[in-house]
Amino acid sequence: MAPTESAGSADETGIPSGTGAPDCVLDSALADELWHGCDAARWGLTRDEFEQILLDAGTAQNFGLPEATTATRSQEKTFFRGLCVADLALARACARGNERAWEHFLAVYRQPLTRAAIAITGSETLGRDLADQLYAELYGLSVRDGQRRCPLLSYRGRGSLMGWLRTTLAQRHVDHYRRTRREEPIEEFDAPAPDPLSQTPARELSLLEQAIEQAVSGCDAEERFLLAAYYLDEQTLLEIGRVLGVHEATVSRRLHRATGQIRKQILKNLERNGMSRRAAQEAMGADPRDLEVNLKKLLQNSQSEAFQEQAAS
Amino acid sequence: MTATSQHGFHPDAESLSAFSEQALNERERMEVLAHLAVCGRCRQVVALAREAADAGEVTAAARLRKTNAPDSWWKQWRLVWVPTAVVAAFAAASISVYIERSDRHGPDIKIAEQNPAPSATPPSAPTPTEQAKVEPPAAAAPATPPTHTAKHAHSAAPEQLPAPAPPVVAAQMPSESEVPEPRGPAPGVAHRQEAMREPPPMSRADEQQSPPQLAMGNHSSSYSQPGSSAPEAQQEQAEEHRHAEVETSRMRSFKAKSATSGVHGANAAPPGGATEAVTVAAPPQLETQPAALPEPAPMLGLKHVRNVPTPAEPMQLPSGLASVSIASRGHFMLAIDKAGALFLSEDRGVTWERITTQWTGRAVAVHRHVAANDAMQTAPAAQNGTTGDSSAGSGAASPPPVLFELSNDKNQTWVSTDGRTWTPE
Repeated sequence: MAPTESAGSADETGIPSGTGAPDCVLDSALADELWHGCDAARWGLTRDEFEQILLDAGTAQNFGLPEATTATRSQEKTFFRGLCVADLALARACARGNERAWEHFLAVYRQPLTRAAIAITGSETLGRDLADQLYAELYGLSVRDGQRRCPLLSYRGRGSLMGWLRTTLAQRHVDHYRRTRREEPIEEFDAPAPDPLSQTPARELSLLEQAIEQAVSGCDAEERFLLAAYYLDEQTLLEIGRVLGVHEATVSRRLHRATGQIRKQILKNLERNGMSRRAAQEAMGADPRDLEVNLKKLLQNSQSEAFQEQAAS
Repeated sequence: MTATSQHGFHPDAESLSAFSEQALNERERMEVLAHLAVCGRCRQVVALAREAADAGEVTAAARLRKTNAPDSWWKQWRLVWVPTAVVAAFAAASISVYIERSDRHGPDIKIAEQNPAPSATPPSAPTPTEQAKVEPPAAAAPATPPTHTAKHAHSAAPEQLPAPAPPVVAAQMPSESEVPEPRGPAPGVAHRQEAMREPPPMSRADEQQSPPQLAMGNHSSSYSQPGSSAPEAQQEQAEEHRHAEVETSRMRSFKAKSATSGVHGANAAPPGGATEAVTVAAPPQLETQPAALPEPAPMLGLKHVRNVPTPAEPMQLPSGLASVSIASRGHFMLAIDKAGALFLSEDRGVTWERITTQWTGRAVAVHRHVAANDAMQTAPAAQNGTTGDSSAGSGAASPPPVLFELSNDKNQTWVSTDGRTWTPE
């Protein structure tokens, strides 16, 4: 694909070169660099097919930009340079049924895929079953609407292919677990009777519940994620840190700060609702069992706007 | 994004994977994080994927270690070889330095021990070969190893003859060295060390400058038993040997002269005329000998009386029997064999003459005896400058100072001045 004259000027001026539409072109120099950096030719892909795969991946994600935003040449270059081009070429070649690509895929990813499945399920048998099931799907044995469906087509190279495979395995395992969990009988639980002497007045409890809901809803995404991962999922600080890419000490500090801010916000909300500061502090000492606050429900009902918009569209 | 849960749309696997790998930009990251905050399912997916990734990394690291095991093994041993080689080199250097020092200091210590010891064999000492020639056959019978002495007896000087004769000491060393020596070094070691090292020039100079007496004393202290008077006896014995050598040489020249004058022929006369022959022949021999010796005459007689060179082993006499008693004076010797026969020799046992029996019973012992007045009479003569020649002229008038005594098995005694004529005492 030959470079266009407007491409150079767009780079210099920062003027958007397109809107992610099919008229988007790939810079020839960048295309050469990416072409030589992967084994696309080895997997039977032509230069044009390779460029088209990159453009499809970019336009499908709008080059990492929000919807209705046009990416500049520079942003496109940045997006393309951030792609795992070799993995993307291999995945597309496998999805097309290239034998050499499949041989390479099996040689490189089969055993790690099985080990990842075993680690996710915690059982070798379940892990192998899970890995074999995914492998069958990847090979395109499933057919929908008369066409073979290969999950590898959904891979766009934003992360590594191995990470995508692990996440896919985890998704399938969690979905399967959640489906089967609903069929399990619920253990009977006898809640202890509340102590009548320590009961807080109902009005104060109501104000407290309202203040908590307001405080939690006012937390940002990272604070809610920390609270959910730590208190609901009972993940360790180390596990949370690995997910966020930060040290566990950082997670601890952020978590402590989040809980402190929520406590202050609850006091403010109580005072705002007509309680004195001393009464608000006494209300903070109420027995949590007296509260009818479902933190899990509260957190998970706080749907992020982006995905709400995406769901609406 | 795909909608697969009750919360509507979930981030797809790629977004979650990219989120875990920090591959999303900030906007995408916050979107995913906001969803993860409210979606337990996606949090669980991310957590499981992260756990699987950690397990895979651990497995890959273990496999990598296993793959690199041979290299690691070799690298470890290669690293171990370096300090090992350094330690080995240091040890080798230390050992070599120690050996070199011991070789360097060993002779010094040895020399320090024997510093006067070089004089164990002073330059004036004759070699054992010469010693064997000088000493009589009976005295030379004990084998004298030539090793220790022969090496140092390389600068014998005639003018140093009066010095004590260390060869005697050296000749006696083997027999004495058989006695265990608790303090001194082992003889074998001493000989080996001495044979190995080359004496430095300084030690050789010291050897020549050191007084012989001191050398003898130190040498005897290191080789003889403590508390014994062996050095003095050895010194005197060596002096006796030296005198014997001088006398032998003079006796030979005297025989040559007397052969022409016919005096010696009288000596060879039958026993019947022995008295005249002795009175003629013996005095010149006795008178001339003190004049040639540097030592004073009075001491000569006493010394000869005390130091009868009695052979350590029996002498073989012309009768075929071994001697049981020997008495001598210079080259003049009397010997009794086991059968009681008396033999006389005027050349220190080279030729023997049997003396007719003039006593009763069986002779068992012969001794030398000097009268006290004999020495007193001889001393003034020597002090007045009386030479052997002058006394030789009046040899018949002055009685011989030495008497020989012969004892039989009945403890009876006969005396004689020439060894040929015996009279009851």
